[in-house]
Amino acid sequence: MSVEVEVDESDLAEMVEQVWESYLDPEGVSPLIPTYDENQPSEVHSSVSITGSWTGHVVYASSRAAAKRAAAAFLAMELEEVSEEDMSDTLGELANIVGGNVKAMLPPGAQLSLPQVVLASESSARYPNAQRISGVYGMWEGEPVSISMWQVSTDNKEEGA
Amino acid sequence: MTPMRAMVIDDSRAMRMILKRIVTKLNFEAVEAGDGKEAMDLLADMTEVPELALIDWNMPNMNGLEFVTKVRADPRLREMTLVMVTTESEQSQIVRALAAGAHEYVIKPFTEGAMIEKLALLGLVPTGANS
Repeated sequence: MSVEVEVDESDLAEMVEQVWESYLDPEGVSPLIPTYDENQPSEVHSSVSITGSWTGHVVYASSRAAAKRAAAAFLAMELEEVSEEDMSDTLGELANIVGGNVKAMLPPGAQLSLPQVVLASESSARYPNAQRISGVYGMWEGEPVSISMWQVSTDNKEEGA
Repeated sequence: MTPMRAMVIDDSRAMRMILKRIVTKLNFEAVEAGDGKEAMDLLADMTEVPELALIDWNMPNMNGLEFVTKVRADPRLREMTLVMVTTESEQSQIVRALAAGAHEYVIKPFTEGAMIEKLALLGLVPTGANS
């Protein structure tokens, strides 16, 4: 069974803001500037799945440059020091943190998966029977970044991309 | 004076690096483990038990709650201060962790300042380490 999710875009935006304040922009000089463009391009993405009282996915997607910048900020490294592994670990943890906070807003009984990271476009992802229900879309230092929520339909409707 | 030691237990290497950076800044010697089982194995081989463990909840092999329960059941480890550092922020989960024996609970995302504040409240921040 899956309930209607009560987490809306302002909740997601608040979580994203906390992530920026804690890890990506602790000095408060480089916020995510909203674009409201859910079709903005991405080159890498990460996700966690939630099952139980609500079933769906929380997905981080961005350009490779933004992912590299995120890893550098997260791990306190210089940009040129960031490896693929650093980028992958950081994207996984970002999805995990936002996913965990989403889960906390759901009715009891939800379970969070371990994160999955794909160093390829979000459009390459397949979430069967899922549709995007909300998201925060923005530019971070000129690079596209988004965090979105995908709800899995309990009836067998056509697949979302 | 022997520095205090902290064990950082998280399956995310990125999060371990962040936590390690914070505790090192506070003059702890840091030891890393990728899950509760690895942490228990490391503890079994240690002659001196770390003063502090920062523990994620959701990890493969042995999760953070299981780790806390095992540590609390072992008299040799009873002096360890256990801090859960997790995205599990439901009240019921916090109560479970504290009931199992965790001393403090830090919800991700956290700022460095918030983490240091928690450790200071536990009396684990050496004088002058946060200046």
